[in-house]
Amino acid sequence: MNEETTAESVAKGRTYGAFRCLNCFERVSVPTGAKTHKCPHCSFEWRLSWLSPDFPRIRGPVWEANRQLAEENLSKKQKGVN
Amino acid sequence: MALNRKIAYIELTTGDIETKPIPVKVRNMFLGGRGLDMYLMYNHIKPGVDPLGSDNVAFVSAGVLGGTLASASARTHIGGKSPLTGFVGSANMGGFFAPELRWAGFDHLVIKGKAENPVYLWIQNNEIEIRDAKHIWGKTVHETQEIIREELGDRDIKILTIGPAGENLVRFANVMTGIKDAAGRSGMGALLGSKNLKAIAVRGTMDIKLERPEEALQYNKKVIEQITSAKVSQTQGKLGTPFIWGATNTQGLVRVNNFQLNQLEDADEVEAEAIDKVAVGMAGCFGCQVHCRSKYVIPEGDYAGVYDEGPEYTSQGAWAAEPGCRSLNNILVCNHLVNIYGLDTLETGSLISWVMELYEKGILTDEDTGGLDLRFGNEEAVIEMIHRIAKREGLGDILAEGPLRAAEKIGKDSIKYLVHVKGMSNLHSDERPTPGLALGIATASRGSDHLRSRPAIDLYHLPKQVLRNIYSQPVPYDGPVTSDYRDYEGKAWQVFWQETCYEAVDCLGICKFHTVFLGASLPSFEEWSKLLYYNTGLELSPLDIWTIAERAYNMERLFNIREGLTREDDWLVDRYFDEPTSVGIPGVRGKTIDRDKLKNMIDEYYEHHGWDEQGVPRLETLQRLGIENEPSHIL
Repeated sequence: MNEETTAESVAKGRTYGAFRCLNCFERVSVPTGAKTHKCPHCSFEWRLSWLSPDFPRIRGPVWEANRQLAEENLSKKQKGVN
Repeated sequence: MALNRKIAYIELTTGDIETKPIPVKVRNMFLGGRGLDMYLMYNHIKPGVDPLGSDNVAFVSAGVLGGTLASASARTHIGGKSPLTGFVGSANMGGFFAPELRWAGFDHLVIKGKAENPVYLWIQNNEIEIRDAKHIWGKTVHETQEIIREELGDRDIKILTIGPAGENLVRFANVMTGIKDAAGRSGMGALLGSKNLKAIAVRGTMDIKLERPEEALQYNKKVIEQITSAKVSQTQGKLGTPFIWGATNTQGLVRVNNFQLNQLEDADEVEAEAIDKVAVGMAGCFGCQVHCRSKYVIPEGDYAGVYDEGPEYTSQGAWAAEPGCRSLNNILVCNHLVNIYGLDTLETGSLISWVMELYEKGILTDEDTGGLDLRFGNEEAVIEMIHRIAKREGLGDILAEGPLRAAEKIGKDSIKYLVHVKGMSNLHSDERPTPGLALGIATASRGSDHLRSRPAIDLYHLPKQVLRNIYSQPVPYDGPVTSDYRDYEGKAWQVFWQETCYEAVDCLGICKFHTVFLGASLPSFEEWSKLLYYNTGLELSPLDIWTIAERAYNMERLFNIREGLTREDDWLVDRYFDEPTSVGIPGVRGKTIDRDKLKNMIDEYYEHHGWDEQGVPRLETLQRLGIENEPSHIL
């Protein structure tokens, strides 16, 4: 009964106070209570909500900012710029 | 004993009722719930029957852990040949019905024939009575339950029922219980309607004696802690399933305007947090600690002040993304209407968005729509179409026949714009950037289906080692795993694993949200082995449970093949291959599914199953699972 199951071992990897960027998938730490946050890795910007003081989640994109970034990104891709 | 609940055979044409015990040998083969229902379906439904004819058989069941201390052991399964697809009909719902059924002495109901007039079943502590239902025929889901409880004089009676949609044989009508718990998908409501069976009311006061109650209590506490400490459970307990929208729509993984876009932009009002603002609390099913069902009162408009529950993630898609609507009130109203009519929210919303695209393209005109302006975003038109489908009026009558029959009736190029698999419409998810999810809907046994095999955690970008840990239990797997949902490699195994996991959970009768569906750290085969032992005394290893699930899934496959399913049915519509996604994050733009790669994934998926290249179970597979001689007619 005390043996650790797969699920329990997976649970040990939980992180708090951070969210995973939904563009670049990096973990991003964020100041408690922030309503928006720009990913330091890819610059995409997210609207956040908080389930508890250490549990942020992405509610949705900052629409205009991310639309612009996506267009720029695709434009570079089409021109062959990394 | 937890295993002494019986099976009842109810013949509605003659009124005959017979009960039998369920042998432990059968439990060890199929456990209960969906698994045993699949055995019964293959044994009791004759090949080629009309799904709406009296020869079809309806199955209602609880899982083998139903009503025990096991967390969320609430699920009711409904089975039968699907009036929508002609293949496996199978639907599952939460609430309180299944535990009550077990406390009343029954695990499985096999309902045959057709009553001459509307009836309902009244089941109480080992007794089953067929009662007149003429006075409740035509009543909504909510009204029906109130009337029956009043009539029988007991507020604690649990009821499953069909609404007007089921009575009108809408081929995607649900069976419902409570305010919003829905056995949706595959038209089990129409099946009950075709039998003139309006409802089943149940009340039981016979305890289920657990095999090892002290140990069961202790272990269940541990599992509950495991569930409630998961971030996904905490999120779901606050926001319900609409929390998923925050990941999917944010990236561009939902289908909008039927299938023309993959993100509903600037629609903050339909996000989970917006729903949470109008919610007046959360409700849960039997034995659940998560409580993922929002309670709400419609804030404005014609339905202002009406109470209902939900909406689920599926309704965000059905009433916002797919028809291109952006108001929360519309979601709440439409959710209420499908609940009271007993309609499949997903199928209804998908079909309405499909005809909206046909209207946009001029394939349908004002004459066809009865003057209804079916432009995307017209919320009033969407609401009106729900009424018309449930009542089978005008264009609604055509849609009530389901996607393929409706496309045939409408003709022209209408089928080109239909998004379905095996004649069942897709969830509002857009699987073009996610090959694993695409494979899941292509191959699912009851048609396009996000609940049969979806590797939802594929969207979480989990580290490879975590994926390896999950997907290598209880059967070793050393093939590829990838953290990127856009990859094709390793996804066939993920789909196979999830499919087996979901079959197992449906045999046990516990909620899919309490396993590796939306959360990676939730209970799975290892925990179930212990839960089964402490609660029922069944000594089954994690691998044994896996094998039972495999066996049950193969019964579904055999059923489908007997009804004419071929490899061609495990496929997607052309839009997945030919129309690239256009919006969302850069990583999901310009995506289509690659035909050759999908074909290869299907080959691999069949191979994992032990099926041949046509998707037919090989003899050695059936022998390994002990079902080579089915139908065996043991029960």
